[in-house]
Amino acid sequence: MSKAGSMQPRERRLSLLVTVLAFALPVIFVLVPLVIFLVYSFFSVDQGTIVYAPTLGNYVRFFTDPIFLPVFWNTVVLCVSVAVICILLAYPAAYFLTTLRGRWRYALLMLLLVPLLMSYVIKIYAIRSILGLNGFLNKALVAIGILQQPSTLFVFNMNAILLTLSLLLIPFAILPIFLSLERIPQTLLRASDDLGASGLQTFLRITLPLSLPGVASAASFVFVLAIGDFLTPQMVGGISGFTFGRILYSQFGTAYNWPFGAALSVALAIVVICAILIGERFGRSRGTSV
Amino acid sequence: MNALPRPSTIFLAAITTLVAVLLYSPLFVPIVSSFFTISHGDVDWSSPTLSTYRALAENHDILAALRTTLIVGLCTVVLSVVSGTLLALYYHGRRSGRSILQFIIFLPFLMPPIISGLALLIFFREIGLERSLLTVVIGHTVFVLAIVYRTVLMRLQSMSRTLVEASYDLGATGWQTFWRIILPNLSSAMVGGAILAFALSFDETMITILVTGTQSTLPVRLWAMMRLGFSPDINALVALILMFTVLLCVLAARFLIPRQMATERS
Repeated sequence: MSKAGSMQPRERRLSLLVTVLAFALPVIFVLVPLVIFLVYSFFSVDQGTIVYAPTLGNYVRFFTDPIFLPVFWNTVVLCVSVAVICILLAYPAAYFLTTLRGRWRYALLMLLLVPLLMSYVIKIYAIRSILGLNGFLNKALVAIGILQQPSTLFVFNMNAILLTLSLLLIPFAILPIFLSLERIPQTLLRASDDLGASGLQTFLRITLPLSLPGVASAASFVFVLAIGDFLTPQMVGGISGFTFGRILYSQFGTAYNWPFGAALSVALAIVVICAILIGERFGRSRGTSV
Repeated sequence: MNALPRPSTIFLAAITTLVAVLLYSPLFVPIVSSFFTISHGDVDWSSPTLSTYRALAENHDILAALRTTLIVGLCTVVLSVVSGTLLALYYHGRRSGRSILQFIIFLPFLMPPIISGLALLIFFREIGLERSLLTVVIGHTVFVLAIVYRTVLMRLQSMSRTLVEASYDLGATGWQTFWRIILPNLSSAMVGGAILAFALSFDETMITILVTGTQSTLPVRLWAMMRLGFSPDINALVALILMFTVLLCVLAARFLIPRQMATERS
């Protein structure tokens, strides 16, 4: 493979073309739109038309207007709660999977991941009908006797968004936790057993610390997906469940203020990048080769 | 992991069952109602019917949306597999500029879809491209490219270099080596990537809503219908899509899980 030396001019031009193409595609369709978007956040709107003069007005408005920061903060809290719920449910399930042998382990994993591929809109709709006033959840709670009569606790409010997002995103938490649990060497667990540790001690001192990287990536996954979702809150949140994604989306619809929407997106992107970085930082397992 | 005593195993199994029930209940509702009539929140188990499926066959609105979705999906698959494979081939074994471009390719997948979608929306407006199926296809391709690229690149990295070297030693030209050695070795990864790309495109809702024109794909159509409530034939559609999805999953697993692991398990 004597390449560079014996290259003909024609070949060299071809390889230059390939290089330009390889760089051009991602740059044109990903980087350029994002940069334009960022630049837009410094524009403003006057009487329905966009004013192409740089201003910090959108960012000032975001920080000073009494509406946006509280909604932003509430949405962050909501999405952290979604992540916590997902992990509390996903961890035991993922752990159970690793106790299974051979094909059962992967068959069950597949079973828990398949709902991911199922139509997202339909799932939201079905969950909404389950949570609704005449829905299954209310019927079950009344039947058990926890509630006297059907309650509107889970209809068109923040609770509804919390439950729906958690239900939608559990599989995203199962996979990373399962992978990190599966990577723990069996010898460590056996050694701990040999040294006289109880099952609980082994879990708390060996398994749990070594699986924390998986938990961190799961949390960051779920958080990022939850905070970027604007359809679920729109559908199950009603009037009281107002999230940041909905405000952002409305800037491109009814409110019609693209530059301000772009500024809100920048705020969203910063939170998402932080979440991804935190997930990366703690998601790197240090001791896998032990 | 036999260290745990019995009660904890039961507890774990119970939670796992709960999770499975939670995950499948939203799918269960429309499937049951595709075969049975539901009135006032109660299922009438006595009379199974296929009428919803017949109604679906006559719902031209939904069928048109389904056809649009399939067209978008196929275009996305072709575009993303071709460009993803070329990019993987190009960056494989090349250091300069790879990490930064890889980062750019992964951005639309990492960023919330609302950000990718809005960025594209503004971009299309600035370059004067009307919103249409073309913009939807571009949006989907940008979104799924990372998956195809990564799938193919991983296969390339696990491919033994000696194969390529042997081909050159035996006097094959660069093109011959590519067609006879590299491409056949990549084919299953490309098929697996294509299936994943199609599945993602088929259900993509958020980017599509932002960049679509007058023609809507199935998820967007369903989204628009949801405000008013669904007609029963939608349930039939959901049941069919679920079956189709499970089939895709099984296929994807066949192509993506390495042979060794598959034989070990069977």
